[in-house]
Amino acid sequence: MTLARRKLLQLVGLLGAPTVFLLFFFLCPLLIMLVYSFLTPGLYGGVEWQFSHLNYGRILGWANTRYEKFDPVFLSIFLRSLRLAALTVVTSLLVSYPAAFWISRMSPGRRDFAIFLVTLPFFVSLIVRLFAWVLILRPTGVLNQGLMGIGLTSEPIEFLYSDFAVILGMTYVFIPFMFLPLYASIEKLDVAQLEASSDLGATRFQTFRKVVLPATMPGIIGGGIITFIPALGNFIVPSVLGGAKVLMIGNLIEQQFLSARNWPFGSALAMLVMTAVLVLLVVQLRLARREEAS
Amino acid sequence: MLRRLLSLYGLLFFVFIYAPILLVVIYSFNANTLNMMIWDGFTLDWYRQIFGMETSITQSATYVDSTDQLYAAVRTSLIVAFSTSAFSTVFGTALALAVARYRFRLAGFYRTMMMVPMIMPDIVLGIALLIFFITIGMNLSLLTIIIGQSTFLISYVFVTVSARLAEFDTSVEEASADLGATPAQTFRKVTLPGIAPGILGGWLLSFIISMDDLVITYFIAGTGNTTLPIHIWGMLRRGIKPEINAIATLMLLFTLVIAAIGLYFRSRRQK
Repeated sequence: MTLARRKLLQLVGLLGAPTVFLLFFFLCPLLIMLVYSFLTPGLYGGVEWQFSHLNYGRILGWANTRYEKFDPVFLSIFLRSLRLAALTVVTSLLVSYPAAFWISRMSPGRRDFAIFLVTLPFFVSLIVRLFAWVLILRPTGVLNQGLMGIGLTSEPIEFLYSDFAVILGMTYVFIPFMFLPLYASIEKLDVAQLEASSDLGATRFQTFRKVVLPATMPGIIGGGIITFIPALGNFIVPSVLGGAKVLMIGNLIEQQFLSARNWPFGSALAMLVMTAVLVLLVVQLRLARREEAS
Repeated sequence: MLRRLLSLYGLLFFVFIYAPILLVVIYSFNANTLNMMIWDGFTLDWYRQIFGMETSITQSATYVDSTDQLYAAVRTSLIVAFSTSAFSTVFGTALALAVARYRFRLAGFYRTMMMVPMIMPDIVLGIALLIFFITIGMNLSLLTIIIGQSTFLISYVFVTVSARLAEFDTSVEEASADLGATPAQTFRKVTLPGIAPGILGGWLLSFIISMDDLVITYFIAGTGNTTLPIHIWGMLRRGIKPEINAIATLMLLFTLVIAAIGLYFRSRRQK
């Protein structure tokens, strides 16, 4: 056997099984979901193999039959999900940026330990972390006890089951996602450049806006995107902290599969999430290319 | 002045990250049975209760979730996590080796494509798998959970092992070959020990993520296969009970031990 032939066999041996596995159990399911989103829902769950564009019509506006009617509520839930995900990105950016800056100025030993501390909660069970916030935000919770203790309010405030609780919960859960890319770009900041800027008479704010911010933009965009994607399709956080009051697109999809039993419609909603994610990734790729070019 | 403010802010940041988790631990020792939010002395009763032991809290016996159910959920989670992480580690490592050590046209394509399962929103993957398993007539079982979780955990192992392979000096492998070792010997005696920390890291990472996976498992578990996160989620939906604090604290301890092991090996690797 020649060497090239043996190498080829080894390569096939390494790649073959995982490739087949992923094609069959990862790609196929997504393709089938795409197909389902264009089928007619069966009367008692399941599907009928008949083409239909009305699943999308119900969301986007052209369905107008007896069973499949356009309802603006679906689009508004989707828009709300986009809004909540975007707000989550903004809050986690505001929370993480100064902290990343602070940590990047530490001595190397302390720095590694601090980063370890930021990433550690990522390994703590999601449901445990959300439960912790239920304990804080509920009417008898720690936050209300504190507010009433110092006399800011006499009646407990319902923090749970609001946009606020959902954004707070998602921010808390996704902080490592935002922090790490952000930190990577802040760490690379050239101190000499900052000094040059202030030597040339720039105020701190000017230096931040003209030097620091542009230099850390890749981290902001990268962190923003990997925070936005899981936030957009999230349904655990809104169902634990948002209750029935804050429905997100994820909750809607879950309902279509587990209670309404309308799989084609649920698939169409999931395709909507996928499309948003893909658009975002293409935009990021473009931005990254442009950055490399310049 | 600005420096001081920044340090103060940094401390607040860590309070924000850790205070909620710490709170759960503290409340798990709270003796107050009537209002779990008000501290009323130290007790281990909630721990005794989840292990099915007798406690002094009589009235709470009515809202104990059966210890058997909890044990079953822990058992299911462990079976799934061990199988999934072992399977994903083998496949993820194989892919990483192929991409890093062989020249072929699709290598770059593989590298990009392996990111996709990690980026895919989990609800989308969860329902796609559900539809798929039902369509091909596969009954939802432990096997479908293991397959479903592996689809994205392979990527996590791939990334971890690839990072290790990239650091690993190929000249050592060449030296081994020059000294007359067969490729199999080189692989067993040089490459494998060299990337072992990466493989171990990938295995631990996939184990932790598998233990914690809620969304994908939720859709493809079917009835009767409740994993620990799904069990706790169910408890939460039925109401906030003090024993959840104790369960959460034990889970916390468990993940911290695994994370500590992983980080210990990573720090040894860096030296």
